[in-house]
This record gives sequence, C-alpha cells and structure tokens, in this order.
Amino acid sequence: MKHFFTPNAILDKKSVQILVWGQIILAILIWTFSPSPLLPKPGEVLSAFTDLWEQGLGAELITSFVLNVEAVVLATLISLLLAYATVMPFFRPIVALFSKLRFLSLVGLTFVFTLIATSGHELKLSLLVFSVSVFFLTSMSDVLMTIPKEQFDLARTLHMNEWRVTWEVVILGQFDKVFDVIRGNAAMSWMMLSMVEGIVRSEGGVGTVLMDQNHHFRLAAVFAIQITILLLGIAQDIAIGMMKRFSCPYAFLTVEAR
Amino acid sequence: MIVPYTYRDTLLKIDHLSLEYNGRQILRDVCAEIKDVYIPGRVTGQIIALLGPSGRGKTQLFRRMAGLDRPTSGQVLIADQKGFHPVRTGEVGVVAQSYPLFAHRTIMGNLMLAALAHEPDAKIAKATVVAGLENFKLEDKADLYPCQLSGGQRQRVAILQMLICREPFILLDEPFASLDMINIEVACETISHAANLNEINTFIITTHDVSAAVAIADHIWCLGFERDLNGNPISGARIVETYDLLARGLCYEPGIITSDKAMSTIREIKERFRTL
Repeated sequence: MKHFFTPNAILDKKSVQILVWGQIILAILIWTFSPSPLLPKPGEVLSAFTDLWEQGLGAELITSFVLNVEAVVLATLISLLLAYATVMPFFRPIVALFSKLRFLSLVGLTFVFTLIATSGHELKLSLLVFSVSVFFLTSMSDVLMTIPKEQFDLARTLHMNEWRVTWEVVILGQFDKVFDVIRGNAAMSWMMLSMVEGIVRSEGGVGTVLMDQNHHFRLAAVFAIQITILLLGIAQDIAIGMMKRFSCPYAFLTVEAR
Repeated sequence: MIVPYTYRDTLLKIDHLSLEYNGRQILRDVCAEIKDVYIPGRVTGQIIALLGPSGRGKTQLFRRMAGLDRPTSGQVLIADQKGFHPVRTGEVGVVAQSYPLFAHRTIMGNLMLAALAHEPDAKIAKATVVAGLENFKLEDKADLYPCQLSGGQRQRVAILQMLICREPFILLDEPFASLDMINIEVACETISHAANLNEINTFIITTHDVSAAVAIADHIWCLGFERDLNGNPISGARIVETYDLLARGLCYEPGIITSDKAMSTIREIKERFRTL
C-alpha cells in the first residue's frame, strides 16, 4: 500500500490491478452518491444510453468513427510530408507559418472551407484535417528538431548522401515517435469532431447528437454520449499503442515498466 | 628493447588548421602528421592519442579531422595515389563518445548499413558482417538492438562498423570515459586488435587518460595553450608537445606498460598535462 505513494515505485501486475479497479470503483461510488442535482446518476445514464442506442446512436458512432479515421490518416500523411520537407530550407518558412495557423478559430474558418468543399462530408473532413494537421505538424517538427547531431554524423560517416541521411535518421529513426504524435492528435481529433459535427450537421454523427442533447439540456444523454466517446477513444489509443509495439519493438526496451 | 621500425609514407596531415567560433579562437595553427609505421614481419597500424584537458578543443579538432565541420582556415589532408587531398565527410570513421548506433536497427542491421556502403552484393556484405562479429566476439549479439548491449559491447560494435565501412582512419572520442579499469584494458585490446588488422589502419583517440594513452598509442599529441612571457595562456589551442613512444621503446612489447620506463613516461606526461 505504501508503494502507491512512493515516488517512481514500480508495482507488480497484481498491485496495478488493485490500484486501477480500486480507483474505478471509488469514482463510481463518488458519482453514485454525489449530492449534486445536476449530475445524472449511473442508472439514468445507462437508461439514456439504451434510448439513444435504440434511436440509432450506433450508426452515428460509425459515421463519426469513419470520419475521424479518415481525418487522422489524411492529417498524418499531410503533416508527415510537410514535417519531412523541412529538411529542405525552402520549406521551413512555409511549414513554420502553417504550424502557426493552430491559433486560428475553427468557427472562423468554416466560411472559407464552405467555399472550397463540395459536400457536407468534404467540409467536415477538410475542417478536421486542417485543425489536426496544424497541431500534428507542430509536434512532429519538434520531434525532428531534437534529433541528436551525432545521429546525422553517424549516417554521414557511413557514406550516406543527404537523401539517405534523411531516410535513415529523420524518417526511419523517428518512426516510433510518429505513433506518439498520432496518439495525441487522434484524441484531439475526437474533441474537434464533435465541434465540427455540431457546426456541419448534414451527415449527422455523434457530435450532432451531442449538440442536440445539450441543446435540450438532457444531461443523462450527454453523459452517455461522452462516456461512449471516451471508451471509443481509449480503444483507439490502445490500438495505436499496439501498432507502435508491433512496428517499433525497440522503442519499449529502455522504458521503465511502471 | 626497442622493436626495429621505420616510418614510411605520410598518411594524414593537419596543415595549419585554425578555428574561430563567435570571435573566440578555439584552435590556432595546428600542424601534425601521421606516418605509416613499418615493422618488418608484422602488420602494424598506427594509434595516436590526442591528450588534453577539457575545454582545449579536442572534440573540435576531431570533428575537423573527420570532415564533419570546416575549420576557419587550414585543412586536413589525406594521402592518396596522387599525393594528398582535403578530407571529405565520410572518409574518416568516427566513433563518438556515446558510441552512437541506429536505435531502430539491430546490430546486424547497423553493421549491414556499413557493409552495403561499399559492397552492393548483400550476400557478400552479410558474410563480411558475420566474420566481423566473430572477430570481435559479438556473434551472439547480431539480433539484439543497440540499447540491449553493454557500453563495452556498443563500443566494439561502433568500431567494427567503421572497420566494415573500410575506413583506414578512425577517430575515437574519449573511448575510455566512464569505463572502469578492467573495461579500459578491454577497450585498449579491442582498439589495438582493430588497428593492427591492416598496415594503414590509423586510430586517433582523444582522451585525458594518460595511462591508457601510453598503454595503447605509438604517438601522443598534447593539445593545450602556449604561454606568453608572463606565463599567461595564449588563446587558441595547439599541439604543444608530442611524444614518440616507439622511439622510447614503449610499443609492441608485452607487459611493457608496467616497466619503469613506461611509468616514468606516464609521470612525465602527467606533469606536462598540468600545464596544458
């Protein structure tokens, strides 16, 4: 028990299970017995979820999930291409400027993207891809900026030309970190997705349902949707983690198992 | 007893090399030469130890010798069939202090990169790597990743990588730093073994471990500041002293490092080291 509060303590598998389940049960107890009248009880949330499911929440979730995967894949490809392009000085100012666009508001950009997009799906996708890409690019540029000089020296010493150096050091050498950046940005994409689906309601999606429930102040339904998104996000996070473990086993060899 | 030896061709020359950084003189008019040491009946490479206290520009000189960065003036020249040419990046192997290897490749993958740099046939390249791994007693490490090796093993892989890359000139930055006494001996053996694989193999080692330098090198260059008439250091380090350990009979004799003359040389260099 005292190890739970010891700095940098490494717990065995059983202790981790006790800790996690203990905290889950505690959270449910606090939630169940909370005196706040605004907080819907677990039973109410479960009942709201059943209703929503019967009204087609599953289909809305699939719409949102597909849109999110599309956006993350496209944003990853665009951002990686732009981040890797920074090896050439010509692209550095352009990429720096693009990454600064993360300060722009999504609501303000809707009009511009509406003029470009030909369908509701395209509009949502382009809004999402844009908003994820600017953050993805910032994180990925940071990763590439912090590659130790000695890695470049080693590649050059092995007679590699600068294109090969880029492939070995910048692309292959940092591949494991790409998964970490995807993980962070895919989560952010879910956050933005509900906002985008709230703005562009043509195709429906979980964001539209969430906005509707919010609008009518159905807190139990809002909670049910949020918890569903949370669980889906956790599953997505685990899947990306497994992809990293499979593609880059070396990345886990020096990590302290906590 | 002094082993009979002669000097043959000059292999590498540092020609009036100077370096300034942000208006500060780091290196000043550094000149040095490495000649092929020839001992009848045996293959002998060259090992030069570049000694100097911290902050004297050893690593900076090292990077210019490797062609990784350019000096402000002067040059490093490498011998070729027509005479000499300025060093090109990749022409001099480098083993940096932390023994960098590509973390995303296994030991076999790292060494294959070096082998394929010269040998387009993957089968022949792999045979070279396998032979190298056996020679350096690393055959059971081929499928491991660099982070799974000890410091000494990483050092051997890094040296082997440069040898497989067919570099006769290899620079080692502080190979004895953070090694204990036993591992310093192992590192010395590895470096000597690798240097003596080929007549023109030349290892240049930066270190501030005087005993290890005397144990392994045939020449020692001391990098430090010259002094003005008042004894104040003149900015910009130079090679202010050289020691020919071959001429002193301190090379190629088993157990010579424990002899009185070796001890006296170590003491002499340590004394000089204090004023660098």
